[in-house]
Amino acid sequence: MTSVSPSVVWGLIIGMAAINFAERFVPMALVSRLELPRPVLRWLSYVPIAVMGSLFATQVLMPRGEFLPPWSSPWVWAALLTGAVYYKTRSFLGATVAGMAGFVVLGKLLGT
Amino acid sequence: MTNRHFSRGVSLGFPILLGYAPVGVAFGVLAVTSGWTPFQAVLCSATAIAGAGQFIGLSVVAGGGSLSAALVATTVVNLRYVLFASTISPYLHGLSPARQAPLAFTLTDETFAVNIADRRVGLSTPASMLGVGAIAWLGWVAGTALGAYGAGWVGDPTKWGAQFAMPAMFTALCIALAENRRHVVIGVVACTLAVGLAALSRGGLRIEASWLVVVTAMAAATVGALVFDD
Repeated sequence: MTSVSPSVVWGLIIGMAAINFAERFVPMALVSRLELPRPVLRWLSYVPIAVMGSLFATQVLMPRGEFLPPWSSPWVWAALLTGAVYYKTRSFLGATVAGMAGFVVLGKLLGT
Repeated sequence: MTNRHFSRGVSLGFPILLGYAPVGVAFGVLAVTSGWTPFQAVLCSATAIAGAGQFIGLSVVAGGGSLSAALVATTVVNLRYVLFASTISPYLHGLSPARQAPLAFTLTDETFAVNIADRRVGLSTPASMLGVGAIAWLGWVAGTALGAYGAGWVGDPTKWGAQFAMPAMFTALCIALAENRRHVVIGVVACTLAVGLAALSRGGLRIEASWLVVVTAMAAATVGALVFDD
């Protein structure tokens, strides 16, 4: 089927497990022991919303890496629907399911 | 008490399962068609739980790249976990490393965002975070198993809108995290920077999507920290 050797696959599995755990655990264990100065804490408190803003841009405004005109993009309209449902219900599950269903319908209407 | 927190986390994290399962299926199918055994595919998802990092590692090796190149690529793509882990760690002050380990193990974009949003309303506990992590892990691993063992008979998940599960989740999380005007401003700045930088990157400078997120998020948080004081 292919020429990837089993030892490379095993090396990758073990290596990725180790690296991904280290990248998550080392900063968590180290930083949680520190008393961080206020400006750093303030900066950290802005990171989550900034990350979500960037992810929204890449996933909704630029799905598949291309910026789509918002008025004809099922991604954007389905996101508006998702946002409205979340705002009303405060349910992640309800909003996600409504968004997925809306996306299917809007994709048919607007053409994905 | 702890059990109740854990189950609350599981239900909070359920949308993550919906989003991960189809992507996990894709990883499972791709790994098996690249010559991995189904067991290797499932083991990789179970131990790494690193969506983009796994796809990159797999594709570097499948494309004839060396093991070290694949490991460097996965490290770089997942460097954002360093930022997430540092951001969440002040909430874990006083928790022993042994108890932090499973939370670190299941830290992803989505578990991070759900736990932070939950924390902002004052409900998150280490037990609820563990529940969020457990259900996300299950979705990723079960999806991979479905794709790896049932590569032939898994239908097309895009029929029921699976490709919108993650974007939907991020949209809801944007609203959950935008608790005041400052947050709205920072979120809009991050979004604008990301679109702008992506437009520039098509002019020559190539930026990988996960780097785009890290760079623009750090820039927007810095703008926020400079413009708004306590």
